[in-house]
Amino acid sequence: MHHLVIDRWSRGSSPLHQRDPRAKLAALLVFLIVLSTTRPAAQAAFAGYAVLLFLAANLAGLPIGGLIGRAALVLPFSATFALLTWWSGDSLRALSLAEKSFLSGMAALLLVGTTPLTGWTAALESWRVPRMLILVIQFVYRYLFVIAEQAQRMRWAALCRGSHKGSKTGSFRLAAGLVGVLFARSWQRADGIYHAMLARGFRGRFVPAAPVPFRSSDAVFFFTCLAGCLAVRILL
Amino acid sequence: MHIPDGFLSTPVWATLDVVSAPAVAWVARRAQRDTQDHRIPLLGVMGAFVFAAQMVNFPVGPGTSGHLVGGALLAIVLGPAAASLVLTAILVLQALIFQDGGVLALGANVFNMALVGVAAGYLPYRLLADRSRSGAIFAAGSLSVMTSACLALGQLLISGVPMMGGVLWASLGLFLVSALMEGAITVAAVRAIERLNPAWVAGPRPASSRTLAGVALAALLLVVVGTLIASALPDGIQRLTGQGVDSLGWPQRTMGGLAGIAMIFALCYLGGKLKSRRRSA
Repeated sequence: MHHLVIDRWSRGSSPLHQRDPRAKLAALLVFLIVLSTTRPAAQAAFAGYAVLLFLAANLAGLPIGGLIGRAALVLPFSATFALLTWWSGDSLRALSLAEKSFLSGMAALLLVGTTPLTGWTAALESWRVPRMLILVIQFVYRYLFVIAEQAQRMRWAALCRGSHKGSKTGSFRLAAGLVGVLFARSWQRADGIYHAMLARGFRGRFVPAAPVPFRSSDAVFFFTCLAGCLAVRILL
Repeated sequence: MHIPDGFLSTPVWATLDVVSAPAVAWVARRAQRDTQDHRIPLLGVMGAFVFAAQMVNFPVGPGTSGHLVGGALLAIVLGPAAASLVLTAILVLQALIFQDGGVLALGANVFNMALVGVAAGYLPYRLLADRSRSGAIFAAGSLSVMTSACLALGQLLISGVPMMGGVLWASLGLFLVSALMEGAITVAAVRAIERLNPAWVAGPRPASSRTLAGVALAALLLVVVGTLIASALPDGIQRLTGQGVDSLGWPQRTMGGLAGIAMIFALCYLGGKLKSRRRSA
């Protein structure tokens, strides 16, 4: 199992990577709000948003194909509802549902593709998001792949022992046992992590990193994004 | 069911963001108060565990399989506040990194799954655990999934995503099936965990106020069912009054609303008085 490609993307050094995470997060919110209030009839505006995102991705040096592929993960869900809307006779709205969810996914990817996790969680923290939530987000992300890999290995091991051949109730109980063992290992791992933290001098709270100054170039970036989004929204 | 961006109308996502933000802050404070130091990594690792446990397939019925959703399991193992916090963290990561649920719709998804979903899982567990433990865990899993799914459906309907009657019933049936599956899987998983170490699954805290939990659960279910009915039949009130509410001017509508709130307040006040008098008598 390979780790997320996003992690690799976010370690770049393009102008977009160097902007302050707060500016990028604010720009993302502006883009999403403007997008969400666009009327379905304004199809030209959707093309405009796509061009904006394309320009930003180009500036950041992210592979367009990869971005589109990952953003397309939202399409199964939105396509289902778009089809329902289509059947009820509102084809324009159906199209805009799919477009809005796809473009929103692209925009979120641009943020996490140019900002490491510590960057955007620091931005959230400076916006007074509860510290406890930030800590949990960081821990979940840190151990996500470790434990997912463990689950994958346990599944393969169960398959090797012929878990797919037994009766329905047998394999149901086996799956429950897998979850139970996975839980036990996660619990023990958490204990180990805590002791490792203590060994490295953890005293019950985390020392926040020194705040990074919000430079004027970050402000310029934010207002450029704001102007771009509003221009597309109003003019097209 | 994670709602992506672009599906909810602006008033709906904005309201739910405004509601969820202080609720998450409250939950975080509570979780921090209840949590000793050594549990901070535990909460994170449990979040990762839920992600991973969703990869384990449970065979149900011919040719289909389901997986654990995990809200009720977390509520049973960690307690409601910590479970809400962990699920919120998962939803934030899913929205930003895994394109599962929208960023503006995060408030809605947190409300449906992390706040109301966990409450709908924890309350039945707390109410029923000393009567029938398996039954309580089953109810916790089923209700938590059913409640979140119905809320999401109601929000989509209010936002004007059109759904014909047949589709609505089909999706409700689908939700029911997955809710029952979640109930069965949660029971099996909690039993398996208990077999390894009973101390990991702390029993619900001694029921300090059983009636309160009951009332809270009833209110929760009322809200969910009410949302669904109100959004599926938006013209119900018009039909009741026999005329369009919109034809009234805004002063009348405002006065009507205020009068309704005053009446409900008076009713609650009287009920409280009666109850306290009976208790002191």
